[in-house]
Amino acid sequence: MRIPLIDHEIWRETITTLAHNKTRTFLTAFGIFWGTAILALLWGGAQGFEGIMRREFAGLAANIGGVSSWRTTMAYRGFPKGMAWELTIADIDNIRRLAPDIESSSTINWASVDVSHADHSKRSQIIGVEEAYPRLNTVIINSGRFINASDIAATRKVAVIGRNLANELFGGEEAVGQQVQLAGISFMVVGVASQMGEASIGARVDESVIMPSSTMRQAFNQGNTVHFFIFAARPGTTPTDSRDAIMRAIRLNHPIHPLDDDAAFFQDFSEFFSIIDKVFLGISLLALFVGGCSLLAGVIGVGNIMWIVVRERTHEFGVRRAIGAKPWQITAQVLCESILLTTVAGAAGVCFAALILAVIDQATADPLQGLAGFELPFGVAVSIIGVFILLGSLAGTLPAVKALRIKPVEAMRAK
Amino acid sequence: MEDIITLDKVNKTYPGAVPLHVLHDINLRIGRGELVSIMGASGSGKSTLLNILGILDSYDSGSYVLDGLPIRDLSENRAADLRNRLIGFVFQSFNLIGYKSAMENVALPLYYQGIGRKRRNALAMEQLERLGLADRSHHLPGELSGGQKQRVAIARALVTNPSIILADEPTGALDSHTSREVMEIFRELNAEGMTVIIVTHDPGVGAATNRIIHIADGRIVDADGSPAATENPDTDV
Repeated sequence: MRIPLIDHEIWRETITTLAHNKTRTFLTAFGIFWGTAILALLWGGAQGFEGIMRREFAGLAANIGGVSSWRTTMAYRGFPKGMAWELTIADIDNIRRLAPDIESSSTINWASVDVSHADHSKRSQIIGVEEAYPRLNTVIINSGRFINASDIAATRKVAVIGRNLANELFGGEEAVGQQVQLAGISFMVVGVASQMGEASIGARVDESVIMPSSTMRQAFNQGNTVHFFIFAARPGTTPTDSRDAIMRAIRLNHPIHPLDDDAAFFQDFSEFFSIIDKVFLGISLLALFVGGCSLLAGVIGVGNIMWIVVRERTHEFGVRRAIGAKPWQITAQVLCESILLTTVAGAAGVCFAALILAVIDQATADPLQGLAGFELPFGVAVSIIGVFILLGSLAGTLPAVKALRIKPVEAMRAK
Repeated sequence: MEDIITLDKVNKTYPGAVPLHVLHDINLRIGRGELVSIMGASGSGKSTLLNILGILDSYDSGSYVLDGLPIRDLSENRAADLRNRLIGFVFQSFNLIGYKSAMENVALPLYYQGIGRKRRNALAMEQLERLGLADRSHHLPGELSGGQKQRVAIARALVTNPSIILADEPTGALDSHTSREVMEIFRELNAEGMTVIIVTHDPGVGAATNRIIHIADGRIVDADGSPAATENPDTDV
């Protein structure tokens, strides 16, 4: 007895049959090719899309929160509601003393001034920060260094300028070591920086000037005011867990009602990140659903063609049986044809999809962060082909088995 | 003479709302090396008889012995095997596989015997040469004339060296000249010792055989339509 799959005679017969029926082979193969390609594209596309989105937020620590002053929403100790107040250095000291779950933090101050060097001048955002800032929002140092603790302690007039701004002011020249004028005050450039993702706090690093918070408050007459306080919560806690402690610290110096939590503008970015995670989960599920539907449509398409093929071949099967083909030999032949067709066409579809994904991946590559990840894991590619082989063969073999219930004489009459 | 086919009281009824009793107590003996025709009008039961002789259909009662083998209650696989080894079929509509060359068509029964490609192609070529079609071996059936197709079909029937050739209206789709040629081939095969059984409604074809078995309303009858006088018709040499 012949064992199909390892019998080269069966494969030779299969290849002959497929090669001699080009239209039918092409139509079936195209259905499988298309089905696998769409499924693979959806899978890789969803991965790449997620990669692109994640890239936007790259560099931003996931467990960060922020506080800024707002207006009171409740009257308290003779002060009316709607009273404005300002976050100060003293508040920050209290927060750092009283909120145990803050791991690292930085004050942020903003100003918008003319930045100039030689003949070039540009109105830019200035960000005053503390040395921990890069731990909260990754800053890429292109040359030089970032602001450090001694800059802040000594109120040094040093600045880190954004890459694009440096290009505009200095052209191709090295900016580090040179002087820039900020609203007429000279600052020494100690670093050139750019930011990682698209999301930023306040202003894009590439277009801005970063300086020590202490220097900024002094040079631009901001007194003790802090515009924004950004912090990373200790692992295992969320920024919101620190909210009560932060509010208690603020109330030490401000007449804010104990229940008036809305007097400060509190942001928990981790909530935002968890929403993003849910969005990606949604996208993945959608891709899976659409992919499953296209798989089903593909298999139904293949099954449909196979059904027609088997009907067309009922006569041929009848002849083959009359001259001595056993039913299992016919079944084995249809099965071999299905497997060969699905394997070749499925592999071609997956390769085609991988090629398209690779092109998209290169086209969307980011100079700093590299590829977005439009790619098809090998295991997934093999699984897609495997599922198609299984379902495609089933779709082809079931009608064949049904056709074999017809007696050879009747089958030969079918034309 | 040794019998190659022995039918004893074979009955066949097609089930249905009104069961159709197509063969009544058929007794038939055909000797080895005979050239016989089975003649009857359409609906006489001759096709059913052919299908039973060809192990393409079963019968309800009686017995059928082909070349010493009782043909009864066979599995699909066993029936396919016996058809392959004992019987060479020739059909009215040739029943060649359209996408296979003449040689591949002839070699196909050997494929199902598990014979390797080189050997079966060599055997197929031998038969095509015997039938004068060596130069057509790589042509597809669509590129051949009706007579050539039927000769390819005969080559396919012969390639397994069967016990009998069963031809079902082998000249039905051919013109009279080609029909005569095909009948001549059957006569030549018979002269070489092959048992040939031809089912036909064409008296010309019947006349070209050595014995005519008439069938009407599911019974074997004499030439004039009266019930057969003997259960064992002449098997003169």
